[in-house]
Amino acid sequence: MADFIKHPVVELPERKPEPVIPADQLHFSEDEKKQIQTWISRYPTADGAVMRALWLAQEKFSFLPPEVIQLVADELGMPYAKAYGVATFYTQYFKEKKGKYVLDVCTCFSCQLCGGFDMLHYLEEKLGVHKGETTADGVFTVQEAECLGACGSAPMLQITNGTYVHHLTKDKIDALVDALREDKVPAFTSVTLPQDEDEMGGNRRTDVAATESYGVCPVSETTR
Amino acid sequence: MSKAGDWRNYKRVLLPPVKDLHRLDVYEANEGYRALREVLTTDKWTPTSVTDEVKKSGLKGRGGAGFPTGLKWSFMPPVNPDVPRFLCCNGDESEPGTFKDRQLLEYNPHLVFEGILIACYAMTIRKAFLYVRGEFADWISLMEAELEKAYAKGYVGQNIMGSGFSCDIVIHKGAGAYICGEESSLMNSLEGKRAYPRIKPPFPAQKGVWGYPTTINNVETLACAPLIIRNGGEWYAGIGAPTHAGPVLYGISGHVNRPGVYEYPTGMLITDLINEVAGGMRGGKKLKALIPGGSSTPILRADMIDGVTMDADSLRAAGSMMGTSGMLIMDEDTDIVSWLRRITHFYHHESCGQCTPCREGTGWLENIVTRIDEGEGNLRDLDLLIDLCSQMEGRTVCALADAAAWPVRYTIDRFRSEFEAKCKPSLVASGLEMATV
Ligand SMILES: Cc1cc2nc3c(=O)[nH]c(=O)nc-3n(C[C@H](O)[C@H](O)[C@H](O)COP(=O)(O)O)c2cc1C
Ligand code: SF4
Ligand code: FES
Repeated sequence: MADFIKHPVVELPERKPEPVIPADQLHFSEDEKKQIQTWISRYPTADGAVMRALWLAQEKFSFLPPEVIQLVADELGMPYAKAYGVATFYTQYFKEKKGKYVLDVCTCFSCQLCGGFDMLHYLEEKLGVHKGETTADGVFTVQEAECLGACGSAPMLQITNGTYVHHLTKDKIDALVDALREDKVPAFTSVTLPQDEDEMGGNRRTDVAATESYGVCPVSETTR
Repeated sequence: MSKAGDWRNYKRVLLPPVKDLHRLDVYEANEGYRALREVLTTDKWTPTSVTDEVKKSGLKGRGGAGFPTGLKWSFMPPVNPDVPRFLCCNGDESEPGTFKDRQLLEYNPHLVFEGILIACYAMTIRKAFLYVRGEFADWISLMEAELEKAYAKGYVGQNIMGSGFSCDIVIHKGAGAYICGEESSLMNSLEGKRAYPRIKPPFPAQKGVWGYPTTINNVETLACAPLIIRNGGEWYAGIGAPTHAGPVLYGISGHVNRPGVYEYPTGMLITDLINEVAGGMRGGKKLKALIPGGSSTPILRADMIDGVTMDADSLRAAGSMMGTSGMLIMDEDTDIVSWLRRITHFYHHESCGQCTPCREGTGWLENIVTRIDEGEGNLRDLDLLIDLCSQMEGRTVCALADAAAWPVRYTIDRFRSEFEAKCKPSLVASGLEMATV
């Protein structure tokens, strides 16, 4: 029996596909290791820091192929299978290479009723891709997102797990795509509260340059 | 009748009109951390008396289930110095239609921190996790900067204000999964596991994160704690509806002129919220339906909201729930079937896949509603959907299956004619649908 396991009749496939990250780049810097140790110290066990460590790895390598997940697992001293399980559970961890900018257009619930699908279709047409695909030049990936917790400023999208763009219109998408082609990512925008506008004349955060107030949502043309 | 009293002159407390309240110095100048200081340094307050004050206030959880918060806190077992215990603050906020916690975390983060610390004192907890959904990356960075300042000033950390009480707050960044909002799933996520919900019992107060006693509360719930300490439980209980008291953040979205997050007492008339607070319907259209508290709460037709107020009792009587008070307003042009199709897609996408009725059921809900929406359905599908809902509800590890089934069940129940109109016309007209399938 043991012999059979050691010398299988059928050739077993490699456990992991060919690495895409060159071996000489596949490591964390000292600073990054220190950062991970800080996170570990905040949890009762090292496993608690796995989500933060995966985030760090994704920022560094832009996505999480198996060898990167292995790297994270080794750093935390947890089994690869467990780290892999976590990485594959959440939608924000990219398991395959995406475009430089991932545009997550919300089409859920409120956004759907306020023109989220119009915006998604417009973006798809503009960039010549379907949702889930990346443009040939590798700059944009268009995705359909579930509710991103900004329903009051629908329709909206998120740029690569970061900045929110509220109150989408076709003009706004045009401007956004142009800006991103020049690597100008819009700044964090604070959405003001309607009651603040009545009681204190607008935005309460004076440290945020860009603000937007809630406004009437557009009439949606398509709902799917 | 509105239970919110003179709501037009209501003074906001969760999000008071103060510029730059998110900054520590401004927060301090506006009674910030006063409640915490009082709790930690005066003899008036003990862990028991803080919990009792919260009980007196009638505060109910704002995370969806509306469980009395003081009672939840008292479920924690007696303190054993050898056994660590934890607090989790639930800022996952992924329920479609809900966007209030994000505004609270952006504009008044220190109130949330102070609430967390008071809750920790009341339950003698030394470590709290603030779980925020990964999509809120920008807000997490902003909050971390503020939390660092609070640490530097000695409001958080070791020996707070020289009282001997120590407590750490850890901000945990999620990575995009609705299910992490469910309390036991959140705990698994924190532990660095796949975020599968756990079977209850054991409840978190017995066996929570890493197997230790844990309490989980929503962001808005915990933000109420400093207010209750500052002004007293009786003051809090006197705001809004007597049986569901307090200020509440209404997140209004959809076809209104002024969507947004509004703070008002509970017990507001829904009609007041739409017509006066949110500026009326967009383009003067008529109201068709609304969702009172996030995607899982049953839909209400326009003719069902006369005199209905936003509190648990009134909404239950009307046939819905308070949920997260994230209200979606739909005008007369809304295609209810397409809307339901998208929401079934959401639940299918977000089911964690642990239980068969949920994993398969949510998929079939989506398939069948999609079929109807494409004009390929037949009348029997409607009963099939209701039957499917009955097979899902109450048979799974967590309540996501119920949350997925309710919108389908109640939308079909309350808008059946719209579904029938989309079913195959020939079969509807001839009544032959039973014979042909
Ligand atoms: C599928 C599902 C998703 C949930 N999502 C959230 C959420 O995003 N935020 C939240 O505060 N509570 C959410 N809850 C409710 C929590 O399980 C829990 O009841 C709540 O955080 C308790 O806090 P409270 O007592 O302050 O309301 C969810 C529950 C279920 C079943
Ligand atoms: S009900 Fe659904 S989401 Fe909840 S544990 Fe079961 S499969 Fe997962
Ligand atoms: S529905 Fe799009 S952000 Fe909530």
